[in-house]
Amino acid sequence: MRRPGPGVATLTGHRRIATAGSDIADVALAASGDAHAFERLYRSHVARIHSLACRMLNQDLADEVTQDIFVRAWEKLKTFRGEAQFGTWLYRLGINVILAQRATLGKQRDRYVEGDATLARLPSRPEAPGAMVDFEDALSRLPEGARQVFVLHDVEGYRHEEIAGMLGVAEGTSKSQLHRARMALRGYLDR
Amino acid sequence: MDQWTERLSEYIDGTLEAEERGQVEAHMSGCEACTAIASELRAIAARASTLADRSPARDLWPGIAARIAVTGESDILDLSHARTRRRFAFTVPQLAAAAIGLILFSAGGAWLMQPSPGPAPVAAASVPSPVVQAVTGSASYQHYDRAVAELSLVLEAGRARLNPSTVRILERNLRVIDAALAEAVQAVADDPASAYLQDHLANTMQRKLALMRQAADLVTTAS
Repeated sequence: MRRPGPGVATLTGHRRIATAGSDIADVALAASGDAHAFERLYRSHVARIHSLACRMLNQDLADEVTQDIFVRAWEKLKTFRGEAQFGTWLYRLGINVILAQRATLGKQRDRYVEGDATLARLPSRPEAPGAMVDFEDALSRLPEGARQVFVLHDVEGYRHEEIAGMLGVAEGTSKSQLHRARMALRGYLDR
Repeated sequence: MDQWTERLSEYIDGTLEAEERGQVEAHMSGCEACTAIASELRAIAARASTLADRSPARDLWPGIAARIAVTGESDILDLSHARTRRRFAFTVPQLAAAAIGLILFSAGGAWLMQPSPGPAPVAAASVPSPVVQAVTGSASYQHYDRAVAELSLVLEAGRARLNPSTVRILERNLRVIDAALAEAVQAVADDPASAYLQDHLANTMQRKLALMRQAADLVTTAS
């Protein structure tokens, strides 16, 4: 089982955070105002953060939100105490920025209890052979609520109780959205 | 689809209570459809956990660097060299101080001074010598000066490769910026405590470096 065990106090997800050994030195330098060091941190982590933004929001917003996340990280670096890996801290900060963005866009919790209608955007089975949709594309077509729960649970390994807290929904809603997302994604496994 | 299908995700995640889990397993022993769906759901979850990260299609760093340069917490200006990609970071006060030294002593002005007699630097006579001494001895001045000097070398080496009209335009623009820089330096020398003037001066310096980087890019492209 991939998920964190009971008693895990911090929200870390299961994904391995690839952190170069040089992160430690660069974090210290960046926290003291060294933009060169911060650029190195950016280069090390941008793919993961950008992928998170793409999956949680959409491609159009991902670039801007990725920049928002790194600017926020720069501003908050002095509060990073090193209890977790920098990559984990950055990732959690990224989720906060993304969720704030979601709120800014007016996509509130009612999106998480909307009916099945939006799931119709993603056919339960692949479209015509000529209309190839890979797994990531299929994921991006999920309605927002189902997509975000799926990303947080299956891609990132957060538990339902953690996701419910982050998204401000009931745990049962998180479970049902996850199931809907998985059901909708069947058939896109080999793409 | 039946009532058990909705519980299959929880089943494969192992989050069902023992009693419910037993019920689902009893159902699945006689239901090929649910067994197949459970298998697919497992595969979906496994696939999701191995999705590869994708870098953005374009470099987002310049936008970040520009934004962190003006955030109040650090006042860091990140200035990149177009050719070597070396970066130079200064605080606003450091830049303001460095600018004074730049106008007075910078070797980086050489390329700009070549064919056209631009307006003479105006700050030299009015800056108190203790300030000058403090500035030219500072690491930030030497850092900035080196950046300008390196760019000047790039431009000098590639000058012949540029269209003469391009060179004229670049020189004219650099003279305009230098004049603005000289005025900004004078203003800071008159009122060194003004944060606004320091900021203005730092921005003007940044514009100069940006233009020089642009010119260096042109040289690189023309190579």
